[in-house]
Amino acid sequence: MASRRVVITGLGIVSALGLDLAENWNALCAGRPAIRPLEGVANGARVGLKIQNAAQVRGFDPLKHFQGGKDAQLDRFAQFSVVAARQAILHSGIELTQELREQTAIICGSAVGGQSAIEAGFEDLWVNGRGRVHPLTIPKTMANAGASHIAMDLGLSGPAFTISTACSSANHAIGSAFRTVRDGEAEAAVTGGAEAFFTVGMLKAWEAMRVIAPDTCRPFSKDRKGMILGEGGAMMILEPLEAAKARGAKIYGEVCGFGMTADAHHLTQPTVEGPSRAMRAALREANLQPEEIGYINAHGTGTPGNDPVESRAIRAVFGGHADKIGVSSTKSMHGHALGAAGALEAVATVMALVHGILPPTANFTEPDPECDLDYIPNQSRKMQIGAALSNSFAFGGLNAVVAFRAVPR
Amino acid sequence: MPDPVAEKVIATLASVKRIPADKITLDTNLQDMGIDSLDVFSLLFELENAFKISIPDDDVRSIKTVNDVVEGIKRLLAAAPPSDTSMGSASPAN
Repeated sequence: MASRRVVITGLGIVSALGLDLAENWNALCAGRPAIRPLEGVANGARVGLKIQNAAQVRGFDPLKHFQGGKDAQLDRFAQFSVVAARQAILHSGIELTQELREQTAIICGSAVGGQSAIEAGFEDLWVNGRGRVHPLTIPKTMANAGASHIAMDLGLSGPAFTISTACSSANHAIGSAFRTVRDGEAEAAVTGGAEAFFTVGMLKAWEAMRVIAPDTCRPFSKDRKGMILGEGGAMMILEPLEAAKARGAKIYGEVCGFGMTADAHHLTQPTVEGPSRAMRAALREANLQPEEIGYINAHGTGTPGNDPVESRAIRAVFGGHADKIGVSSTKSMHGHALGAAGALEAVATVMALVHGILPPTANFTEPDPECDLDYIPNQSRKMQIGAALSNSFAFGGLNAVVAFRAVPR
Repeated sequence: MPDPVAEKVIATLASVKRIPADKITLDTNLQDMGIDSLDVFSLLFELENAFKISIPDDDVRSIKTVNDVVEGIKRLLAAAPPSDTSMGSASPAN
């Protein structure tokens, strides 16, 4: 089948920045971080949890979204998946006929699946001394629960699966969904990612990696001390351009390229080469010249290791044009939501294309000679751009870059 | 005359389905109140914990109403005194 252009017609998001698209975009434009003291993690003090701050989703009431006890059948990350997907479908105004339901794909990213369920099970066994574990532990923990619940909730029965590549999961998912729709394997797709992993066991595991900032996330800033963990979910609706036009849909942007590479180097230390090859691959598939890119939503974790290497990778791909690109890390506001990160950042990137406003890197205090790009410090910038990249680079050295273009004219 | 077993079963059902307990009577049919197979798993788990019993799979298949659950539990309680299923060696971590 002929290659088709693929556009975004709906966006849904739940993150620490807010419970819907408007709240998220307002916070991103205002450069207002949602990094606050960690709350509601049982037994943290008992095990000496040092992590102080996080970007947690506040005010999300599962009972508002799931009735008749259904809420208890979904771990928090799956709840985020479904709620974000419902928002995105509603936002798109798409009419889900039976035929379209059967031809709609669901491709989601999640790094760690339902951690609350599995950890509660271990707690029952080893702490509470119980001989039994809750019977829904397996179906709540599985990383594909998000995709499965979206399928059941919305009655979508096309190709559906979950991709788990740590912090690149959502970008791998969006890129795969783009190709699935482009190549005619589906007539629409729900794609993005969701993550919710604020259990004491997971937080202790992150703490042990010594990559978490004690205060806040300051990507590319000289005094950065690491990442701040986040949670949430974001989904977008992809459709072929012609179908979207035919139904008079509002088009928010185009997914036009995807690049993925492996560093083949180190579990946690990034390379310049792997990310640059991924960015080049995304540009190539998008048929974009480097000079056409006006914004990059960086992986920008705020760790000493990532930020200079990512800056060098961007410099390696864009040369002198790198100085004209606005580069920001919105993780400075919504935290690092692992397998959902690429999805939250795709929403930020698409909204930047729609509104001509580039979200900033918040909490930026001091330039670092090792990071020599324009990071849009602290204040969003009015700038109409034609195309953008969204970078995700995972532990394990798996890189995924998605290229977006402003609404085709 | 309050029946503590029935009260506990109804409270557990209400909690699993997130509905008020006064909507449930002994005659309520589980299927009619929207209990599906996943809810049954959760319900059995909660009841086993609440009554410190082990409910055999065979007993589960014949359950239709709330009263069936209550009577089944009473039979199990009469057949064997409540026993804790906890493992002797496990103790709360400090």
